[in-house]
Amino acid sequence: MALRGLHCVVLLALALGAQALTPSHHLSPADLDRLKAFLNQPFTDLESAYYSIVGLSKLGIAVSDEHAACQFLKSQLDPSNIDSLFFASEASQALSGCQIPLSNETRDLLLAAVSEDSTMSQIHRSVSTLSSLGLPVASQEVVSALTTRITKEDNVLAIILALQTASRLSQQAELGGILEEIEDLAARLDDLGGIYLQFEEGLEATAHFVTAAYALSDHVDIEPPLKEDQVVQLVNSVFSKKSWDSLSEAFSVASAAAAFSGNRFHIPVVVTSQGPAAVSHRQPMLQLQVTDILSQPLPSISVQVESAHAVASKSVVLSQAPFTLRDGIFELNFMDSQPASGYYQFAVAVTGDSRLVANHVEMKVKVSTEVAINNMDLSVVDKDQSIGTKTTRVEYPSKAKTSFTADSHQNFAMSFQLVDVNTGVELTPHQTFVRLHNQKTGQEVVFVAEPDSKNVYKFELDTAERKSEFDSISGTYALYLIVGDATLENPILWNVADVVLKFLDEEIPSVIQPKNLYVPKPEIKHLFRDPEKKPPTVVSNTFTALVLSPLLLLFILWIKLGANISNFSFTPSCILFHLGHAAMLGLMYVYWTQLNMFQTLKYLAIIGSLTFLAGNRMLAQKAVKRLASK
Amino acid sequence: MSSSVFSVLSKFVAEYRRSTPAKLKVVDAYLLYILLTGALQFFYCVLVGTFPFNSFLSGFISCVGAFVLGVCLRIQINPQNKSEFLSLSPERAFADFLFAHAILHLVVVNFIG
Repeated sequence: MALRGLHCVVLLALALGAQALTPSHHLSPADLDRLKAFLNQPFTDLESAYYSIVGLSKLGIAVSDEHAACQFLKSQLDPSNIDSLFFASEASQALSGCQIPLSNETRDLLLAAVSEDSTMSQIHRSVSTLSSLGLPVASQEVVSALTTRITKEDNVLAIILALQTASRLSQQAELGGILEEIEDLAARLDDLGGIYLQFEEGLEATAHFVTAAYALSDHVDIEPPLKEDQVVQLVNSVFSKKSWDSLSEAFSVASAAAAFSGNRFHIPVVVTSQGPAAVSHRQPMLQLQVTDILSQPLPSISVQVESAHAVASKSVVLSQAPFTLRDGIFELNFMDSQPASGYYQFAVAVTGDSRLVANHVEMKVKVSTEVAINNMDLSVVDKDQSIGTKTTRVEYPSKAKTSFTADSHQNFAMSFQLVDVNTGVELTPHQTFVRLHNQKTGQEVVFVAEPDSKNVYKFELDTAERKSEFDSISGTYALYLIVGDATLENPILWNVADVVLKFLDEEIPSVIQPKNLYVPKPEIKHLFRDPEKKPPTVVSNTFTALVLSPLLLLFILWIKLGANISNFSFTPSCILFHLGHAAMLGLMYVYWTQLNMFQTLKYLAIIGSLTFLAGNRMLAQKAVKRLASK
Repeated sequence: MSSSVFSVLSKFVAEYRRSTPAKLKVVDAYLLYILLTGALQFFYCVLVGTFPFNSFLSGFISCVGAFVLGVCLRIQINPQNKSEFLSLSPERAFADFLFAHAILHLVVVNFIG
């Protein structure tokens, strides 16, 4: 019993948790036209002719002039070149009644290319050419050549070509090994944000992978090992780019599109709403377009709403309701279920073909309605409740005949109800504002009206309390009611009445010109930093002299002591030393006035080393003299 | 009390005059000059405030540094200290003095602004 309960819970959790990915990009009819126009370029060479002709044929249309195209192919063909043969033969297959001339040399050339020593591209092109020209191919040889090349050229593009080649071989051949490559390649795809799945080699590689994988899977009738989410992510990657740089890119996208809409295993479904997903009493039908990624209708499918619940209250409104097909559009009359206005979450399921992928879609549907204002009662209530209130009822859209006066002893009160016109249910829209506009001064003050527990809106204006908002300007104010919401079709701006407000301590009404906000303001002058307070120059000069005076004292003392320079020997090192020393001191002064540290260090290094050498010599001589005289 | 201080001082001055070699007296005069210069700079700063502070600092540090180096030189060339500076000749002391001063001047001029 408990195990069964657990089983149910697990299933429920899985069902709720499985938020399936749906394609965010596909080829809309406009995109498709653009792709076709891009592919329909005039041919410049055989390769561009191949892309145009075969690309267009994959999208189901023919080139504008088939005969001229065939002539072009025949004229540009170089029978000694495998690539040339490939382009011409593949393109001629797409045209009706176009035959490429064959010769024995051509056939031998193609057969010789099928070997382990040719590149993967050469093998692919020769096998494809042989196959489209109707010539026999030794499938087993090809398979072994492919397998060898896969191990030698271990890159994504080569393996994709191998898959393509294998899809042209006989079904009896051993294609299992090559089939496994699909899974290995799928593991190499990069997942971008859980939305895109593509090779780092780019869009073309991803699109070619799709084409090749489905071609081979269809050929051997084994489902490709791609999960639903991966298929949708591949769809997003291939079709996210809506304008293509080169013919080869457009060709790869066209091939992938054909593969996605025509293979035997996975058909991605695109569900879009016709216009915004919104219903109302005037427009009660929810219309959906269900197509494949080429925006073509899917045959024999049925669409139904699995469940629809209100976003706010989570109550289920609809369950297992089918859509009816009319003129290629699936319709459902949602208003039949009498939904209240608001947003609804729909879970739509597309069934009928076992190949459908991403066939469970979640969408948000808006139900709008019209609002009506009932029981609008205006009254002036005395603050101490001594005088009875006088209520005036006003009907929308007319205005109250008399104006209401409220001074500081009185409150002005307003109450009303907002109901849905069609169902009579009370509504609480997002925006219910009461705006008071002073016609003379242009001032306006906006308040919010709040509903009480019974959904009756009440607004009270306490004149004394609110006088700051009005700047205490007395006068006649026009009262407006503003009602708005995303789900309302008729937002309301209603001049309900005129209210005369009297404030105490009235200031002279200054005419507030809102335009004053936007005139140029007075220019701000930059205030430079005040210079520091310095002592008067007399003081500084005195002290400069004072500080230099001990130097005088020093010289006097030295003379008194008998210091002299009589021992000055005129040896070159001595002179050089003194000159160098003087230069160093001079450098200090120059550093103070002009140089920076780096330059100073440079000069100091030069002068310093000279001085050091000279000084060293001089002092050594002095030392010798001193020791000799001892 | 003051008389004893005065007598000590006069005795000290007389002893100094007698026994100090001339070379050391020359260095002492230089030290006195540096001291006075530094003291005057400090007095100015106290009087008028520390603007510009970097100039005051560099001037004062220059005096302090020069005084210290001068004292070092005096200690090193004093013949009474010869036992402690056996390997250091007076010429070497003077060379060190000059080298240290070069670096001191570099730093002071950098900071003087």
